[in-house]
Amino acid sequence: MSDPVNPVDFDRDTGAFFKAAREGKLVYRKCLDCGAGIHLPTTFCGVCGGHNTGWRTAAGTGTLFSWTTVMHQVHPAYPAPYTIVVVALDDAPGVRMIGSLPGQPTLRAGQPMAVEFDPASQVRGLPQWRAL
Amino acid sequence: MTDAYRSFRDRCAVAGIGRTEFSKDSGRSELTLAGEAARAAILDAGLSVKDIDGIVRCDMDHVSPAAIVGAMGLDQLTFVGELGAGGAAPCGMMGLAASAIISGQATAVLVYRALNGRSESRFGAAIAPRTMAGGQGSYDEFFTPYGLLTAPQSFALLAQRHVIEYGTRPEHFGSVALTCRANANRTPHAQMFDKPLTMNEYLVSRVISTPLRLFDCCLETDGACAVIVTSVERARDLPKPPVLIRAVAQGAADGMSGGMMFPSINYRDPLRLAPGNVAKTLWSRAGLQPEDIDVAQIYDCFTISVLLQLEDYGLCARGESGPFAASGAIAADGAMPINTDGGNMSGGYIHGLNHIVEGVRQMRGASDVQVDGAETCLVTSGPIGISSAMVLRRDL
Repeated sequence: MSDPVNPVDFDRDTGAFFKAAREGKLVYRKCLDCGAGIHLPTTFCGVCGGHNTGWRTAAGTGTLFSWTTVMHQVHPAYPAPYTIVVVALDDAPGVRMIGSLPGQPTLRAGQPMAVEFDPASQVRGLPQWRAL
Repeated sequence: MTDAYRSFRDRCAVAGIGRTEFSKDSGRSELTLAGEAARAAILDAGLSVKDIDGIVRCDMDHVSPAAIVGAMGLDQLTFVGELGAGGAAPCGMMGLAASAIISGQATAVLVYRALNGRSESRFGAAIAPRTMAGGQGSYDEFFTPYGLLTAPQSFALLAQRHVIEYGTRPEHFGSVALTCRANANRTPHAQMFDKPLTMNEYLVSRVISTPLRLFDCCLETDGACAVIVTSVERARDLPKPPVLIRAVAQGAADGMSGGMMFPSINYRDPLRLAPGNVAKTLWSRAGLQPEDIDVAQIYDCFTISVLLQLEDYGLCARGESGPFAASGAIAADGAMPINTDGGNMSGGYIHGLNHIVEGVRQMRGASDVQVDGAETCLVTSGPIGISSAMVLRRDL
């Protein structure tokens, strides 16, 4: 059994996301001028062209935007089947985040999702998502 | 109205094309493959190695400009260009070659792509089989730790979005795979030449990552393709009929980001990637409309890639690519035949340079699945990131 892939958590643009997750918080980058959510995080805002941006804490709820159940395994630490989910955040327009669920759950587009910080993924600095 | 593109339109031509065989194990180096395809293209153009004074390389090619210059003795080189990313680049590479010629930096440019994509570096393997991933603008840290590791998984998220928004059915995806396969079955150099595919076989094939099945994925391939670009005047003095580069366009996706393919699901609208913007520029530069196109080579890393681009390039209405493909419209005898050599799906995945070679064959009237009377061909490159496309036309 090999180790799972861990996120690089020291990148100057994105590291704060993983640090916050270890503290049980879901954060995203936000433009403080135009209000746009910026994910993937950059210090600039691609919507208004400004660079007055900062980290904000999200409520941690969203809706299911897309998903795929992986049946063909490519990595020993990720046994198939498992399901990758894409969640659109409720309070950060345009921000979508990734999660993974074990197995082949029955899912439907738009269903409510909530962030969670299970101990194993929290150590890795990863927010996880569950279907409500 | 000024026509800023007048100095480019139809000013350069493809004078020669070359390729190796497409296989699962070439048994030779990528440099050897590149050299073989390049020599074939130079010979096809009626030129000699010493006539080549420009080269354009794809950023993901392991064969460096220095390596191919050294191996082929291209010491008369005056121009070298490089473009990415990967499969999104080939049509843009042609634009770079033409720009070099029009600006007087070169007179005959070799554009090449070589890869041992099956026997050495497999794209279907996990992108990050390592204990830590991401950083430095790759954004892999937001994806690979969750097990989002490969291209089919990434494109499956787009395909599922298409299912959600438009009700796209398995048979719709399958019709793209079957179209490419039927053309490959008539193309001797295609890897799936002697392997027919039925819809039932498609529907029972194993699932890779829902909703994508085995036959929704292209073929990891060993091989190389090469193209020689010259001025149209010079091409007219060479043995093969010139194929004019009518127009080339590159473009970005709205609300896009850095990184490679995984971030596409985070773009503003993942069903409207860069090709929608490429198309606007391309049709304007070409002075043509989708209905003026006789045949198309659509970059087909996955079936969903084709469906998205049929919509983006205006070959069918938004959201209707599934039924459009299943109607037979994209078949060899349909209104808009695509991927007449089998494409990436059933011919061989040379990262999009294969689509250019087949586009040239169609414009020469020399395809194995020739579209009668075809005078214009749309060629597209990979839809992820900053994409590119071009229009080729017969020299009438």
